[in-house]
Amino acid sequence: MNKFRQNIYTICFAVILGLTCATLLTAAAEFTRPKQTENKKAEEIKNILAALKVPFDAHGGPGELIAIFERDVIEQTLGQEDSLTLYVYQPEGSERPVAVAVRFVGPGLWGPIKGFLALEPDYQTIRGVTFYEQEETPGLGGEIVTDDFRSRFESKHIANEQGRWGIDIVPGSGEHAGINEIAGISGATMTCDKVEEMINAVIETLAEKRETDGQ
Amino acid sequence: MANKNTCMTCGGSQGLCGGKGIATLKDGIWTSNPLAIQVLGICSALAVTNKLSNSLVMGVALMFVCVGSNLFVSLLRNHIPHRIRMIAEVAIIATFVILFDQFLKAYYWEMSKQLGPYVGLIITNCIVMGRAEAFALQNAPLVSMVDGLANGIGYGVALAIIGFVRELFGSGQVVLFGMTIDLGSWYTPNQLMILAPGAFFVFGVLIAAFNVLKGSDPEEDKK
Repeated sequence: MNKFRQNIYTICFAVILGLTCATLLTAAAEFTRPKQTENKKAEEIKNILAALKVPFDAHGGPGELIAIFERDVIEQTLGQEDSLTLYVYQPEGSERPVAVAVRFVGPGLWGPIKGFLALEPDYQTIRGVTFYEQEETPGLGGEIVTDDFRSRFESKHIANEQGRWGIDIVPGSGEHAGINEIAGISGATMTCDKVEEMINAVIETLAEKRETDGQ
Repeated sequence: MANKNTCMTCGGSQGLCGGKGIATLKDGIWTSNPLAIQVLGICSALAVTNKLSNSLVMGVALMFVCVGSNLFVSLLRNHIPHRIRMIAEVAIIATFVILFDQFLKAYYWEMSKQLGPYVGLIITNCIVMGRAEAFALQNAPLVSMVDGLANGIGYGVALAIIGFVRELFGSGQVVLFGMTIDLGSWYTPNQLMILAPGAFFVFGVLIAAFNVLKGSDPEEDKK
């Protein structure tokens, strides 16, 4: 009988402890949820703005970023099925779009890589690239997030001289004179290949959609 | 100090911590430093120490979790059924870890992004569980909190030392609170220090340094 009572006590203890912890955590999650979703959204917006080269204060709060985004960036969808979202940068008071960005996603070496590719209004020249949500090897593949690497994309074309769509990340610091050739990171060839692949995928989708849309 | 067991909070020899406050504090930070002496919880120590700021936040996180879980395990120590004590401890630890993680995600987004999964992994950190099992289950709440604090500081300081050395030689400069220590342009950053092997080298030297500074171990001498 004593053993039975002991078991009941153990079960009751476990249930009460479990419930207490769960309640506490639910309360904490609920309490911080608005802040957290805002942070996540601001993170994404920050990357879009950085790719589009929209001037913004890097130390500004999430609210500020969201305000700039809503004022200057228009979201457009391209194509009917599996539509592609375009982020068009059109500063207040300006008649024409200044830049346009698309999201790209793909597998990296260790985990998924997501980022934004921004193009000039000619849909030919790269304006900027940003990466977020990457888990590449710090110091090697992780270098893709550095300004140094990202700036190598700027003013390169998304098609080669013959008009074939796609960029080419060339390993090493050798010759990369082609209009669509970008110098890779030594020691991170795998990451570079995967980045090239995912960016080219989005370039092709974009070209295809624009053709069918007849723009 | 006449009596080495004098309690810091009250000055009495049998104070709030039962006279064990200072000794417990010293134990956690120095004599049995969780990282350098007990070599516990090194998984996270190797992973997050490529930057000093990351190391410090990780140290604070572990301190918070250790103090909180030690307090509650100690408060419940006479009520936790023996057979499920480990599960109960983990539940308490997990609660504190997730609380801290949520807090970081809401108010220190950048830091939370850099630490990634390692804050969540404090749940499985041997130090926290070890202190709950080895100390909080046998001791009163207040001294258990001191123990948690001491181990958190011990872990944090060791982490900060590793983080400082790795960031300095790995990136050529250390950035903290907007202040920068720069090695100058003559130094070529050594990427090895940022990668895992760098952590092993620094960690090994740290253990050696602790052992030298601490002097010979009386336990070892007896053998």
